[in-house]
Amino acid sequence: MTARQFAVASAADIKWITNSAALLRRRLRYNTSEARWWGFVRLLTEAIGLPLKTAADAATALFVARQSSMHVTIGADPSQSASIVVDLARYESIFLGNLSRARVHETPKRKGRPPRVVAGRQALSSAHRYGIDIGLIQSAVARTPAERLAMLEANSLFLREMRKKSA
Amino acid sequence: MLGGLITSKVRFVVVGGLAAAAHGSSRVTNDLDICYDALDDDNLVALARLLARWKGYPRGIDPGLPFIMDDRTLRGAPILTLTSTEGDIDVMDRIAGVGPYADVRKHSEKIAALGVSFRVLDLPSLIKAKRAAGRPRDFEHLPELEALLALSKRKSAT
Repeated sequence: MTARQFAVASAADIKWITNSAALLRRRLRYNTSEARWWGFVRLLTEAIGLPLKTAADAATALFVARQSSMHVTIGADPSQSASIVVDLARYESIFLGNLSRARVHETPKRKGRPPRVVAGRQALSSAHRYGIDIGLIQSAVARTPAERLAMLEANSLFLREMRKKSA
Repeated sequence: MLGGLITSKVRFVVVGGLAAAAHGSSRVTNDLDICYDALDDDNLVALARLLARWKGYPRGIDPGLPFIMDDRTLRGAPILTLTSTEGDIDVMDRIAGVGPYADVRKHSEKIAALGVSFRVLDLPSLIKAKRAAGRPRDFEHLPELEALLALSKRKSAT
């Protein structure tokens, strides 16, 4: 997991994570369980307004108690008149959604300057040099969107059938 | 999938690979990427209900983990990459390089295809989104999209 994927999975800014880790003196490890923990700390500090240290303690307590119930009380006053109850199933759903996005969408970015892609009049010769079949593009432009998407559907059906046969 | 979204009255714009194919890209795509109106509560509920009916589950995650697909989850995680009974679908409330749904809709055009009528992101905005995403696979797609844009402009000029 990269730092960017970790930030997306925990729905937090990477700078906030780095600074908070320094304040809590917690070593940063870019893995799933840490992303889940940081995501919950972020939720408690941002949405509930708990101080960072309290949120971190609550998150640790939550993930220790998580086996027993899907609704966990992570803090209460001595009289039990006020408490914070966590719907763990809900948090897990949101976390899994963010984790999936981190894995599928946030693939590592290209390092350094992005490649120069020529736009405008030179775009065709540039695409040709890149290895694009210009004839294919010209015939695609001559079709209507409906015809293009019908072709896409036929091509993707063909590929699915081929994959099924080879499996 | 498009038919289901339209029948359920979800307000959305098609982005990504299918939008590129609608503009003439020869790349084959198997998933549907949509940008939805997240400011409209009814729209959020309609989309979440549909995704739940399709048994939407996060892609790339071990199966069987607890996942509640409803509007509250969509509010907590507005960008979801899902696998479903109907196929893979990515839903997002904004597009990098373009903006939230309102801006995406402004830069979209209506097309009739596959037996339904729907909106797709226009080609210049699709190029902006690919540039903003900054992933190698997006950059690899750019020369073809730029060539398509040049040819489309030439065609409309004649």
